[in-house]
Amino acid sequence: MKRTNKHSVLSDILLIIVLISVVFPFLWVLLSSFKNEADIINYPPKLFASHYTFSNYTDIWKTIPMTRYIINTVIYAVGVCAISVTFDSFTGYALARMRFRGRTFFYYVIMVTMFIPFAITMIPLFMELSKFGMINTYAGLIIPHATTAFGIFMMRSFFVGLPEDLAEAARLDGLNEFQIYFRIMLPLAKPQLITLTIFSLMGSWNDLLYPMLMTTDQSMRTLAAGLALIGGQHITYYGPVMAGTIISMLPLFVIYMFAQKYFIQGSAMSGMKE
Amino acid sequence: MENTSRWSRIKSYWNRPNHVAYIFILPSLIALLLFAFIPVVIGLGMSFFNVNIFFNGTKFVGLQNFVRFLSDSRAINSIWHTVYFTVLETPVQVLVGVLCAAALSRNTRFNRFCRSTFYIPVVCSLTAIGLVFNMLLDPNIGWFPHLLTRIGMTAPDFFGNAHWAMPTIAFLTVWKSFGVTMIIMLTAVQAISPSLYESAEMDGASRAQQFFHVTIPQCIPALGFCVLTNLTGSMQVFDQIFVTTGGGPNFKTESTVQYIYNRGFAAPYELGYASTVATVLFIIIAILAVGSNLYMSHKEQQMR
Repeated sequence: MKRTNKHSVLSDILLIIVLISVVFPFLWVLLSSFKNEADIINYPPKLFASHYTFSNYTDIWKTIPMTRYIINTVIYAVGVCAISVTFDSFTGYALARMRFRGRTFFYYVIMVTMFIPFAITMIPLFMELSKFGMINTYAGLIIPHATTAFGIFMMRSFFVGLPEDLAEAARLDGLNEFQIYFRIMLPLAKPQLITLTIFSLMGSWNDLLYPMLMTTDQSMRTLAAGLALIGGQHITYYGPVMAGTIISMLPLFVIYMFAQKYFIQGSAMSGMKE
Repeated sequence: MENTSRWSRIKSYWNRPNHVAYIFILPSLIALLLFAFIPVVIGLGMSFFNVNIFFNGTKFVGLQNFVRFLSDSRAINSIWHTVYFTVLETPVQVLVGVLCAAALSRNTRFNRFCRSTFYIPVVCSLTAIGLVFNMLLDPNIGWFPHLLTRIGMTAPDFFGNAHWAMPTIAFLTVWKSFGVTMIIMLTAVQAISPSLYESAEMDGASRAQQFFHVTIPQCIPALGFCVLTNLTGSMQVFDQIFVTTGGGPNFKTESTVQYIYNRGFAAPYELGYASTVATVLFIIIAILAVGSNLYMSHKEQQMR
């Protein structure tokens, strides 16, 4: 029994160290984002300042076109999400519940794309989009992400588990395949759809390289790209960058607070092998 | 009349699951064809051409770009930096993730709190995390260097010193993403049937023996998945380097993806040669992925 106790004390110490190291950087940036520049660059640095201000949050709006960036990021993230969740669940459903010639073949063809590194496709994608005149457009940001193998995989794994007679009964009632899908199957998949929506939103919101490549126009930049470009190696004013960082993290953090289990489910799903 | 019956025939044809299925999968297939398969082919093909971003003076150069790659020390170095990053990041990330999963396997309130908290960095962008660490470790304003000085150590310039920069970048990457490994491993541990432990206990296995002979073998597939996704992800490291060191000091932390970016999307905009570098990286990633997959399935069979 003594061994177990020692083991749990040790693991508790480990956990508390990890806990502090995870929480502290966030707290520090959050606190510092409300300090004035003089307090931030003051040496030796103090954790708490004598007074706090909102000026960094107003300054970031003067430094970069924040509103524009936020709008762009929302359009990009929501656009990708709406289209890819629709397409992925369509495909996942068909692969799981319909017998058709080439089903296994198509399944593997789709899964293979999960292993295509972005490094090899980034230049050709840029070329395709510039040929189509889609650089610096929302369509160019959104359409290439219209479907993901991960989403298809996830939706398929869910639909595979549903009982066979569900669709049969509906067919006898005279519903066509689309009605069966929209009225019966999709409502059952609500948790998976939410998980996929969240993962899709998170992917686009946090994406840096892709939107940076496909937009050259300042007014088309997304939040991550805009921040990366002002917050790179040589920061002139720290306060506004901290405020910008906090703002960029806030939306997903809030969603996470309310929909934690869907985030966790999505990660857990990704590691499941059939 | 003729028209309606044809229409209804079309309708009933497409209402059969084995036909309508193609309509269901068509949008995804078109998207994957246009934005995954064709780009791969173009990317591999382009590495044999000289192409610039303005598409003028495009010409076939055969293996010339690959010959150039072999003598391009900045390209070769970028590969070494990427490998160095991967060697630093992947084992530590997987280890921290596994240890946390092991420590958090019981369902207490404190453990649940830890799980949710450890996952927070996963939700944030690498850009934001990069900026946070950039400032937290800043020699002038950062709290952490100050703390080190206070306890009598000299704090290095974490991102500015060629020696420290890459390990620091690897650290912040571990910090950001160990939560994913933790969740995947927790799910795997919790999926193990309790009967396996019971029978091990009846055979007189100690807790440590149970861990090594039941827990680990059962978790190998999930572990393999974590290692694989980590390896392939790390080999394409970009965001966190871009916002912290920008590849500096002196290109000492420039990753391969970053080099591809700098070659293709900054002067002299050589998309062809950048594709050559991408092709080399693609081959390395493919070898790593297939290799680690084979190794893991071999291990899995051995342990069974």
